[in-house]
Amino acid sequence: MHSHSIASDDGRAKVENYCQWIQKKKIPIDGFVLSEHRQFDDANDYRALEDRFGLMILKASEVETEYGHVLVYGVNDDLKASFDFADIRNPLARVLEEAKRCGAVAVPCHPGRPKVGMCAHWETKGEVEGVEIVETLNGGSRDGENEEAILYAERYGWKRIGGSDSHIVSHIGRCATRFTADIQDIDGLVSALKNDEYEAVLPLEGT
Amino acid sequence: MTAAELLSEYGDHVFDEIDLEIEADSLAGFATACGETQSRFIDPSHPDFQSVPNYLTRIHGTRSLPQGFPVEMHRCFDAGKSIEVHKAVRPGDRVTGKSVIADIYEKSGRTGTMLFIVHRMNFYNQDDDHLATVDWRLVQREFS
Repeated sequence: MHSHSIASDDGRAKVENYCQWIQKKKIPIDGFVLSEHRQFDDANDYRALEDRFGLMILKASEVETEYGHVLVYGVNDDLKASFDFADIRNPLARVLEEAKRCGAVAVPCHPGRPKVGMCAHWETKGEVEGVEIVETLNGGSRDGENEEAILYAERYGWKRIGGSDSHIVSHIGRCATRFTADIQDIDGLVSALKNDEYEAVLPLEGT
Repeated sequence: MTAAELLSEYGDHVFDEIDLEIEADSLAGFATACGETQSRFIDPSHPDFQSVPNYLTRIHGTRSLPQGFPVEMHRCFDAGKSIEVHKAVRPGDRVTGKSVIADIYEKSGRTGTMLFIVHRMNFYNQDDDHLATVDWRLVQREFS
């Protein structure tokens, strides 16, 4: 649900190499979501890789707000036009509102992380309406950060996802989200997220 | 100024240009320092003697940034280099390096906000062949 390729400025993994690593290490995931920083990757088409490796490769975005970073699933032209994905000071309330209006889902990620996570800002700047899901398991978290996210999710009744936050191939699958729904495309993922058909899991064994 | 304003004012024009002549000893010395062992990179008598691909990353211009660029150097550090190689450098080449600001963008991380400035040097030989593009990133912390 949260990975970065070389399309992100700090990503060091080619998408094909993610696929090779998943296959070689037999990582038990059906696919992964590319959430490139401050952009939506329109340029690349991964359908051939999907067929070759039997994996689902979906695209999302990781945008930045004054409350920290936010994953957005179901990015479409309306959403891209509604705020500047490259801006690092987008208002969280606006990102949540516009995502909902455009049929997408916005998920604050690594909320327990200092500066770029939502929890600390929640205390200093106040609460924001519209948060429904948060990433409580993030593969790049340091000690205590995921625990902080879980505390907030419990307190506010937010639904939870897990994501690797991988920037190099060996970090893919460090955390994941298990869905009960049969997801075939990004619309299916968005639909599943809007329902209550998933849970954050692990780190995955062997990764 | 915002990143977009800085890019609008300082981007997309050559602000520095250097010329240099490439010597065989320089190519071989750099390759050896990199740990290269193939003779075509370290032996000037090899019939296909040429630069290692990253050779031009060692070249700096006379300026890091355009004249008047508002940067606080005490909060800056090197964010790394990348190179796209188009053609090998050969001994005796007369190389011209042209500097532009290719991109300026912001991001936020654990340590706060950061401004990234991408200094791009395009290198050409005496025949105007494009040899390489080297991007050097400079990052300024706590940009606001």
